[in-house]
Amino acid sequence: MGTRILTVEDDERIRTAVRMALEDEGWEVEEADTGEEALQAFTRQPADVVLIDIMLPGIDGFDVCRSIRRVSDVPIVMVTARADTHDVVAGLEAGADDYLTKPFAPKELSARIRALLRRARPTEVGVTHLRFGDLEIVPDEGVVLRAGVELHLTKTEFRLLVELASAPGRIFSRESLLEKIWSYGYFGDGRLVDVHVRRLRMKVELDPANPRHVITVRGLGYKLQP
Amino acid sequence: MNSINPEIRPVQARTRPRRRARIIVPVRRRFGLRTRLTVTFALGAAVLSSLLSAITFGLTRENLTTQRERSAVERAAVDAARIPAQLPDVPTNLEIEQLLRDIPLTDGAAAALSYRGRWFTTNTQSFGSDTVPTSIQSAVDDGEAIKLHAKVNEKSSLILGVPVPALPGGYYEAVPITDLQRTLDRLMLTLFIASLLTTAGGGLVGYWASRRVFAPLLDVGTAAEAIAGGRLDTRLPVGGDSDLDLIANPFNEMAQALEDRIDRDARFASEVSHELRSPLMTIAATVEVLENTRDELPERAQTALSLLAADVDRLQQLVEDLLEISRFDVGAIKLHLEDVRAAEMVIQAVRVLGGGGVPVRFEPEVGEVMVRVDKRRFGRVIANLLDNAERYAGGATAITIERVQELLRVSVEDRGNGVPIEERDIIFDRFSRGAEGGNRSNDSGVGLGLALVDEHVRLHGGRVWVDERFDGEIGARFVVELPIIEPPADSAIETLIEPVNLM
Repeated sequence: MGTRILTVEDDERIRTAVRMALEDEGWEVEEADTGEEALQAFTRQPADVVLIDIMLPGIDGFDVCRSIRRVSDVPIVMVTARADTHDVVAGLEAGADDYLTKPFAPKELSARIRALLRRARPTEVGVTHLRFGDLEIVPDEGVVLRAGVELHLTKTEFRLLVELASAPGRIFSRESLLEKIWSYGYFGDGRLVDVHVRRLRMKVELDPANPRHVITVRGLGYKLQP
Repeated sequence: MNSINPEIRPVQARTRPRRRARIIVPVRRRFGLRTRLTVTFALGAAVLSSLLSAITFGLTRENLTTQRERSAVERAAVDAARIPAQLPDVPTNLEIEQLLRDIPLTDGAAAALSYRGRWFTTNTQSFGSDTVPTSIQSAVDDGEAIKLHAKVNEKSSLILGVPVPALPGGYYEAVPITDLQRTLDRLMLTLFIASLLTTAGGGLVGYWASRRVFAPLLDVGTAAEAIAGGRLDTRLPVGGDSDLDLIANPFNEMAQALEDRIDRDARFASEVSHELRSPLMTIAATVEVLENTRDELPERAQTALSLLAADVDRLQQLVEDLLEISRFDVGAIKLHLEDVRAAEMVIQAVRVLGGGGVPVRFEPEVGEVMVRVDKRRFGRVIANLLDNAERYAGGATAITIERVQELLRVSVEDRGNGVPIEERDIIFDRFSRGAEGGNRSNDSGVGLGLALVDEHVRLHGGRVWVDERFDGEIGARFVVELPIIEPPADSAIETLIEPVNLM
């Protein structure tokens, strides 16, 4: 079965045009025009990538994002009206992996989706087992354990953790993390990294306010403390 | 066109004919209102104090003189009345002189007696018949008491002539009044100084009052300046002084009306751009779908598709620029500031744009210079400048980064025709660009690029301008100047994220 993409968009014309463009990429597209419908469709048959417009009638994009996140680690791309509002941070906090601003070119969307799908595949770290204090990472299986209990990380959070874990103690700049995990260049949005680090901490740290493992190096970036 | 057009025409859409501005022509005066107020106060004080001084002086002199004269007249009368009793019937000269000497006179006073046409005096030098005019003498001889002012012994004196009862002649006394004169002189000096001080005081009061009166007016000026500078929410305080409210209230109403109007215009532009985005998205996506099947289309349709695709790109750029610029207008721009190495950012911007051929030059120490910018927006600044050079001057030739004291300058040079001095400001206006450029068939510029550069740079606390090339050759140099941030050992990486309450 091919890659399935669920698009949630209330404007029928945009939805259709986007569907056609994505189908040209060889993907299977399922459409939903409300949040409720999207959740039903996702429950019926989970997709490989979900594209959510934040501005939806009824339950909004943030809620759809959170609801899906509760049951799945599927990559989510959200569509916002503007890049410099709280919407972006709010959407990322709600569990989105990446975002686009309207109007975007379908080519840009395809590139984002491809980057997310790449992330969803097992990584090639070459190490089978990593251990930091009570944290245990099994890259090949995509599993993270804390004190023997499995943690539910999204694909992006997992990639971020594994990237930091590939060189414990080394400082990763936001730019390099953006490039490695999101395939963005120098001008990528650093908030992607910041919010994902925060989300990661919520899951892997016992006390997220005073992190022991995922450390911020002010002015430089982030590192994983062994 | 490989050059910036020598004629740049700002195009401004006017939806309605402009009403002729009503101008209140001010009366030209040589001095400012404050000077005039100060001078008026000083003059008023001068006139009033002079008048008071004059009256005081006049009354005092009158008073003192009258008093002195009265007592002198009384004494002289007493002295004269005593003469007949002490004088024998036929006195000798010696007896008369003795008599005069015996009269008790005040200090410096002199006495004289005219007896049968002869003059006897205690002061032979200057108090004699010469001192007293003959008309006076004959009046005294005729039984009249006379007083007059004259100089005796170089001293101002009061001369009194009194008829002596039962004697052919008159008795005269000369009383020096220099002390009185001295007193009056002192008084006059004192009054003069007092007048001067009062005048100066009046001037000071005038100056102070004018400042007090003007302080609120200066506030009006400051407020107007602030509004002109774009701070449209500036208002004057109301309710402190009912007189000043007469200015403050209409001023605030004017500011409010202006703000509302500008707000409305900006919001309109913003909403229009917003509304344009959805259909534009559909069109852009559809064009892309068509592009994917381009090979299956007939040749005519392919040509049409190319036209469509190019103009969709252009329209998308325009809408994006319009949105951004309307965000400036409604003040809705939120910068995500980061401290970055300026040189690295410029190099990355050039690389992202695929302008790898444009050399970026800077001294090694400039490589470490930090600036605080919104990377995405500053990337647009560089992109728009390179795009401008590409469009109007055949491409940028070099980018130079230099440090000028606490400022960083990024210069983008080209080999176009340069920009004439008179057009160096308007080139940053919205929708202003070379007339020839506008006619170019494959030109996709929309004339907002440089306006956005200007807005972005100003939002970053910097400025942008056009200059000559470094080497003085023909061409333009667009210079962006930004304040430098001291290299932080400890920059706030996480301040960019504000906590968001999701629930």
